[in-house]
Amino acid sequence: MSSVFLDKGSAPGQGRRDVLVSARGLEVHFPVRSGGPLRRTTGALRAVDGVDLDVYRGETLGLVGESGCGKSTLGNALLRLVPPTGGTVTFDGLDVTAMGRRQLRDLRRRAGMVFQDPFASLDPRRTVAQTVSEPLEVHRLHPGRQARAARVRELLELVGLDPAVASRYPHEFSGGQRQRVGIARALAGEPDFLVCDEAIASLDVSIQAQVLNLLRRLQRQLGLTLLFISHDLSAVRHVSDRIAVMYLGRVVEVGPATAVAAEPQMPYTRALLSAVPLPHPALERSRQRIVLRGDVPSPARVPSGCRFRTRCPDVFEPCPDVDPALQAVGSAPGHVAACHLHGVVGTPVRREDPAAPAGAGDPAR
Amino acid sequence: MTAPLLEVEDLRVRLRTPRGPAAVVNGLSYTVGRGETVAVVGESGSGKSVSVLALLGLLPERVATVTGSARLDGEDLLTMSPERLRQVRGPGVGMVFQDPMTSLNPVLTVGRQLVEGIRAHGEVSKAAARERAAGLLAEVGLPDPQGALDRYPHELSGGMRQRVVIAIALANSPALLIADEATTALDVTVQAQILDLVESLQADHGTGVIWITHDLGVVAGIADRVLVMYGGRCVEDGTVDDVLERPAHPYTRGLLGALPDLAGDGGDLATIPGTPPAPTDLPGGCVFWPRCPVRGDARCETEQPPLQVVGAGLSKGLPHRAATWCTEGSAR
Amino acid sequence: MTGAPLPEPAASPTATDAGVRSTQRAPRPRWRETLGLLARNPTAAIAAAVLVLLVLMAVFDETVAPDGPNEISVDDRLQAPSWAHPFGTDDLGRDILSRVVLGAGVSLRVGFLAVAFALVVGALVGLLAGFYGRWVDDVLMRFMDVLFAFPAVLLAIAVLAVRGPGAGNTALAIGIVYVPVFARVTRASVLGVREEVYVRASRSVGASDWRLLTRHVLPNAAPPIIVQTSISLAFAVLAEAALSFLGLGTQPPNPSWGLMLAEGRGFIDIAWWLAFFPGMAIFLTVLCFNLLGDGLRDVLDPRQRTLMAGGGR
Repeated sequence: MSSVFLDKGSAPGQGRRDVLVSARGLEVHFPVRSGGPLRRTTGALRAVDGVDLDVYRGETLGLVGESGCGKSTLGNALLRLVPPTGGTVTFDGLDVTAMGRRQLRDLRRRAGMVFQDPFASLDPRRTVAQTVSEPLEVHRLHPGRQARAARVRELLELVGLDPAVASRYPHEFSGGQRQRVGIARALAGEPDFLVCDEAIASLDVSIQAQVLNLLRRLQRQLGLTLLFISHDLSAVRHVSDRIAVMYLGRVVEVGPATAVAAEPQMPYTRALLSAVPLPHPALERSRQRIVLRGDVPSPARVPSGCRFRTRCPDVFEPCPDVDPALQAVGSAPGHVAACHLHGVVGTPVRREDPAAPAGAGDPAR
Repeated sequence: MTAPLLEVEDLRVRLRTPRGPAAVVNGLSYTVGRGETVAVVGESGSGKSVSVLALLGLLPERVATVTGSARLDGEDLLTMSPERLRQVRGPGVGMVFQDPMTSLNPVLTVGRQLVEGIRAHGEVSKAAARERAAGLLAEVGLPDPQGALDRYPHELSGGMRQRVVIAIALANSPALLIADEATTALDVTVQAQILDLVESLQADHGTGVIWITHDLGVVAGIADRVLVMYGGRCVEDGTVDDVLERPAHPYTRGLLGALPDLAGDGGDLATIPGTPPAPTDLPGGCVFWPRCPVRGDARCETEQPPLQVVGAGLSKGLPHRAATWCTEGSAR
Repeated sequence: MTGAPLPEPAASPTATDAGVRSTQRAPRPRWRETLGLLARNPTAAIAAAVLVLLVLMAVFDETVAPDGPNEISVDDRLQAPSWAHPFGTDDLGRDILSRVVLGAGVSLRVGFLAVAFALVVGALVGLLAGFYGRWVDDVLMRFMDVLFAFPAVLLAIAVLAVRGPGAGNTALAIGIVYVPVFARVTRASVLGVREEVYVRASRSVGASDWRLLTRHVLPNAAPPIIVQTSISLAFAVLAEAALSFLGLGTQPPNPSWGLMLAEGRGFIDIAWWLAFFPGMAIFLTVLCFNLLGDGLRDVLDPRQRTLMAGGGR
């Protein structure tokens, strides 16, 4: 079901759009090992568990979810920085999961990553210039010391740093400046695709805004495709063209940012939105919060059927028995959600094998 | 209003650091009433955390010099003997920090830690203390409180742990609760649960709360009054409506402008250029002038603006004050 | 206590107060800084200076030594220390000061060679085991465990028995004994660095394993290895002395401190200086390497470094 829909997925007001990165039935399961010398595999931690997602060329796709939902693992798996255990990823038509060494190296140039903690993501023993020029050396771009130095200066200027800082070490910089260095490194190979993994989470409020503006400017200026992974819904709403919501290893709602933020169609998205604190006291006082019960279940023990059903305020009888597939919802084109409230669509749970990633086979059909 | 619960006057904290002496808190005065929530807002290095650690004598004496006064129920915390301070901290003041694991002992069960806390400040039998501990866990919304007593901290999720820390902080029904970025590490849905919890507990017990955070959204939801800190000084204070809806200080306005909005207009965010000053190297004059978008006056760079009333204080007759030379554009 | 233990004021990863930010994220050690800080640690600085002198002495031994090491003078047998022979003479009338000076060359050369061997092999093993983990780790480290399980002296004796005595073989024997030590230290350090985000970041731009190992992992894993090197040098000098004392290391008439100690043993009640001065030389060298190692440990540890730089002792 979902495949039929996703293939037709289109941005509002536009026809069919060019897909740059695409995941089908993507799974990243980590083995859970028992203690003791034998280290037998006793189960699987299903960090990413059957994700279907398209990232269109030139857009910013926001990926939100709470800690442990697998959003960061998904971002890493799209670039094969974490090996997927099932499903496929294609990048510009090429199968990422089947890439050889050379193709993979080319992917590393064409897809960059910005990390969360700017204090940890820069090697403390290497200067800014050494860090930023690493991709240039690895991919033999701008060969020659002079040319590389020139390119480093250009990159530093691009991210709003004084090129004179090239010879300094990371500890001499503030968090925001370091994050700019990290962005410059990610941009050095002139990538098409940039994954920002909680790139502003460790920064001060006033610095977050600077980096958000920078990312937006770079996206427009360089025609980048951006996957913006964050737990901060306001920030995601601000930078994204479309938003994807993840819960417990699965993408549960995707749609145009305006539609997802204004008319969320999945109870989890609604709860998430209602919990975002807004800096308006009067509004906060009058707002009805949907306070969810309990905690997110462990990804090692995913509930059967709809994985949100254990906390869902609107749970009803098909929820434990049918694993919901993404289906068209709401009024905006391209808005999909995996929720039985919009019609029971999905794969019935097979009782004898509850661990089977239901729905993963769909796109192959 | 009667005598406030906590009265902090001219609090100053100097720290010795490898980069020289740091003026981390520079003359902070505020009050917290019974049942009132005061939010202290600021960025890294604003001195907001240090200012409360100093109140409770939790800064290492070797590096910190604290002056001023902080009277809790009339008794000055800063001149208290260490023994007296220890007595006061449990029943008088509860604390909740950002990372619950720093406050919980990983090798003791939750029940043991709660019971110890309860018994440390009163003659209670073990059984009675355990009973009360289970009651507290139920009160903070932990499912299966009896079972949770025998669990270790690592067996609980982050949200559950933070509830346990709150339960421990509330064990002796303190008059004052200090929460330092208590929900920052939590997911928004869990944060919503915790905020609800604190509000209802406060309503039940009349606890005064100091809520330290960088998140203005949280402030809007929980605070009665707000104190905005920058460079170790209070640059603006007032009721939550005054400060967030009619900010008078350029810094507060900048912070609010820098927040992305859920409604999302899609334009660039307003930013405050530069970075917060290091406490070892504070600018003279108004602490904010190097980053200020409206500075015009030469006075900004030389003379420190006093905290003065800028608005009528629209609610409850409380003043709205800001420390800035430029008050044009502020709500009148 | 019900409250909380003292939290580090700026230990939080997100935006929190950081009045003392610099103490949290201390700049990582680099050479210039390291030397500067080492100079401010008087004990380590003195130790380093003494070692430099010893090495210089070993290098220029022919010029420094008053006499030849093997110049026998029957008339001067067993002379007590005097102006002519400050350290006295031995049973063959050889000048002990000269032999101690020349023995420095032998002892230090064996020590350096042994540690160099152990460092190169051990660090390589530890680097590969720590970085690749899984079966590579299992195979390499179990082998190191086996090596480690042999009594050190027995292992060295076995090597010397197979290859015959002599300075080069002594160094090899001692080196083999120390390989597992370096392998373990390196592996432990690499395990920590391997998980750093900057290593992942470097991988994300396409850096090869070789590049990751040489540019990022090894430099950041180096401090404990450097400390281990200094301390192992002390043990290697001692081990050489012990093996020579047992007659397995340096062969007479070449002077080595351990050999001189062994030769002087027979005269200890009539001519104490035969054993005393080589013994003091060993003592001084080992002490200095150990002190330098401790000093380096302090200086290279970012937390210690902050304390020292802050002057808050």
